[in-house]
Amino acid sequence: MSKYLDLSIKEIHELLVKKEITPLDLVDEALKRIEENKDLNAFITINDKVREEAKNLGEVDPNNLFFGIPIAVKDNIITKDLKTTCASHILDNFIPIYDATVVTRIKENKMLIIGKANMDEFAMGSTSETSYFGAPLNPHDKKRTAGGSSGGSASAVSSSLVPLALGSDTGGSIRQPASYTGIVGMKPTYGRISRYGLVAFASSLDQIGPMTRTVYENASLLNILVGEDEKDLTSVKKNKEDFTRLIGKSIKGIKIALPKFFISDIVDKEISNRIKDVINYLEQNGAVVDIVDMKYLDTAVNLYQIIAMAEASSNLARFDGVRYGFRAKDVDSVDEMYGKTRGEGFGDEVKRRIMVGSYILSGENAKVYYDKALKVRDDITKEFNRIFKDYDLIIGPTTTRIAPLIGTSADDPHKAFMDDVLVIPVNMAGLPGLSVPVGKNSNNMPIGLHIIGKAFDEATIYKLASFLEEVF
Amino acid sequence: MSNYIPTMGLEVHVEIKSNSKLFSSSANTYGMATNTSVNVIDLGYPGTLPTLNKEIIRQGIRACKVLNCNITRKMHFDRKNYFYPDNPKNYQITQNRTPIGTGGYVEIEVDGIKKKIGISDIHIEEDTCKSAHRGNVSLLDFNRAGVPLIEIVTEPCISNSKEAMAYLIKLRELLFYANISDCKMEEGSMRCDANVSISKTEKLGTRTEIKNISSIHNVGLALDKEIERQEEVLENGGVIREETRRFDDKIGETILMRVKETGNDYRYFIEPDIPYLVVTDEFIEDSLKTLPLLPDELRKKYKEVGLTSLQIEKLIANRSLNDYFLGLLEFKTNYVTAVNLLLSDISSYLNKHNKVITDTKLSYEKLVEVIENLESRELSNKNIKDLIDSLMETDKTLEELKKEFNIQNITDDSFINEIITKVIENNPDSVNDYKNGHDRALKYLMGQVMKETKGSVNPKKASDMLVKELNK
Repeated sequence: MSKYLDLSIKEIHELLVKKEITPLDLVDEALKRIEENKDLNAFITINDKVREEAKNLGEVDPNNLFFGIPIAVKDNIITKDLKTTCASHILDNFIPIYDATVVTRIKENKMLIIGKANMDEFAMGSTSETSYFGAPLNPHDKKRTAGGSSGGSASAVSSSLVPLALGSDTGGSIRQPASYTGIVGMKPTYGRISRYGLVAFASSLDQIGPMTRTVYENASLLNILVGEDEKDLTSVKKNKEDFTRLIGKSIKGIKIALPKFFISDIVDKEISNRIKDVINYLEQNGAVVDIVDMKYLDTAVNLYQIIAMAEASSNLARFDGVRYGFRAKDVDSVDEMYGKTRGEGFGDEVKRRIMVGSYILSGENAKVYYDKALKVRDDITKEFNRIFKDYDLIIGPTTTRIAPLIGTSADDPHKAFMDDVLVIPVNMAGLPGLSVPVGKNSNNMPIGLHIIGKAFDEATIYKLASFLEEVF
Repeated sequence: MSNYIPTMGLEVHVEIKSNSKLFSSSANTYGMATNTSVNVIDLGYPGTLPTLNKEIIRQGIRACKVLNCNITRKMHFDRKNYFYPDNPKNYQITQNRTPIGTGGYVEIEVDGIKKKIGISDIHIEEDTCKSAHRGNVSLLDFNRAGVPLIEIVTEPCISNSKEAMAYLIKLRELLFYANISDCKMEEGSMRCDANVSISKTEKLGTRTEIKNISSIHNVGLALDKEIERQEEVLENGGVIREETRRFDDKIGETILMRVKETGNDYRYFIEPDIPYLVVTDEFIEDSLKTLPLLPDELRKKYKEVGLTSLQIEKLIANRSLNDYFLGLLEFKTNYVTAVNLLLSDISSYLNKHNKVITDTKLSYEKLVEVIENLESRELSNKNIKDLIDSLMETDKTLEELKKEFNIQNITDDSFINEIITKVIENNPDSVNDYKNGHDRALKYLMGQVMKETKGSVNPKKASDMLVKELNK
């Protein structure tokens, strides 16, 4: 079996340019690896036209690093003519008629979509176990989850089925699985990447981002995903920049804050210790790391439950069996059609969140919960901005523990949110955050460092991440 | 029984004229083949996001201006959540908390008494699909989905059906003249719901709502009927329930549709896909620049140029003639003669051929020349009737047409006198009859004059000269 997909993208690119390999070779290798690792359950749908697409890709563009590189796309990102299920029964036969903006960008840059990655149903979950198609597994220990909700993307990249994947992150869904599977996952600043074609979970929090094996590849992929999109009014116009530009630059004098909450006793001891090692190393190399007090971080999970579920209850209302997707049979009225379609089409976690969200927005509750949550959310943003007056970056562990064992999270929905307690505040403030592997614990399971940057300062995050990536 | 005081409020929806829909680029049209002006956004497809058509905000600002409302400077949209098959996302994007306009009024006059009908707010929202029911299937036409609407809500301050009708007529005239809407109730581009309550005291009674009344005339009928019905209920010891009714114009009664059990819970929250919109002074100024003269301004202007109120009202009732006449005011001519021509021969021609004046070849220059010729009596009213088709349909100049129709300029008094002398000589009997007081004789003699001149002298002038000659 060829091993091209174990090479870096730069190396693969050189081979493509030298015509030693073709995009079809890469695709065939990826398909073979997926087949051989079927038990990982990383994909929901394989693109059965991908070999054809590889053959028709044309002449290699020596200036396009991503030419012919296979990529996995999370299955809540709309792909024209390629089934997009959101890991739900209600869309299990849904073949879209348009492309998400990020998918258009991927195609324009001649990447090859191998398939659609497994995930939690509608991205609602922390372990991808809510998937209608069963949970993807963690390649480091197949008894453990790959995290969630972008668990399939993480599993695929971590096991080198494909070098690149797209994930989406509403409350840590890129960074947490990246941490659990030992890869690099970036949630860019809210508005960096168009959400057009991302099936909405919580519109004010959702953000698409790259999941890769290396920091450089992550920054390179971000380069082509970003940009204002007239189809998404929340996307932001920014000058073009190269996110790899600070990679390899000295970190001397960089000022880093570590909130106390991030090393409190909610964090597993081994992980805390690893973070301390990281801090020592950074200080040895001229960075300034201060432990700081930050208010409101502990409220983020509660805010998330209110804001995300309220928005989700509305966003998922469109799945009603009228225009697309699954429609229940043997119904006598419109109301019965709604009830049965949604009752049978959605899984338990999705239904739970829709119910909670509907309750939160009902009558006076909207003021008591939702409006108040938005106010506290502003306070969190202000608190981050206060810290960022004095510091360039904020760091901490990405997760409080290593990837949990399959089957241990479903019983206590609230506990499952605690997997995301450290990553959710970043979504609340709309900031960029990245998880980079910083070694493994005694069970040989990956540990991730969470790096949070100022709004639209992804480049500085990549600078620090690549510095640590070399060592840990 | 008549000592109840009725109080009414009206909610009027009008479709805003625009090229494209409110949140998508589909054409905003009426009467196209079913489901042909539809895209993925209008269908509420997964992953799609709304864009915002700024032209509709401009229309909203114009509506604020003509309805004397305060313009909201910082606004957002809200989601109104409810399940219904004609509602593609199962939420409607509307303005709940920050309507574009508040605190306005429309001045009406009923039986010579002026009254301001208060407008509590006007807001922008999207229209739903049009649904049709065939046996036990329902069909949906998405052409209307996402068409921009403004809803105009009055204070509960309307005292009788005459006021309600006067308000609607005035509202329609204002919005139509401001180019905001076609306001065609028969095509559904203007729709009216009415709230009605009666009470013997200051405290308002329980109100009922009459939905979707099909014409202004029917609004009058429906309100009178509903007041009568409520009086009967109360006089018979009953109570008025909060309920929704409709008006059946065949039987002339309001009919119960449903009783409102609890207040509707629409779970409103701020639409997260559309950022807050800040309206600047420049934007407002720019939007109002294209606002045409409104009916009351026109009335004032037309009075100044000497039109009678009958002429004014006839002109305003005919938008295309009005606009044409407004353009004519740039030219120096006799406007009264012009209006007479427009409302008589020209209107007859237009009606007969089912045309509007802009479809014809009647340039302002040509019309001014015609008026000059009428003034100088080089053309008679009869000539106009002969010439009208050619004036409207050809590019020929008036001079060319006069030649073609053999119209001589008989303004030479001596020539007319010659003819008159000849007629008097040839008809001594009739002259005698006239001198003996028989008016009919004058008519006969006049007829002879016209015959001799082939109708090419100004009749009034010829008649004056004939009488003068006879009385010598």
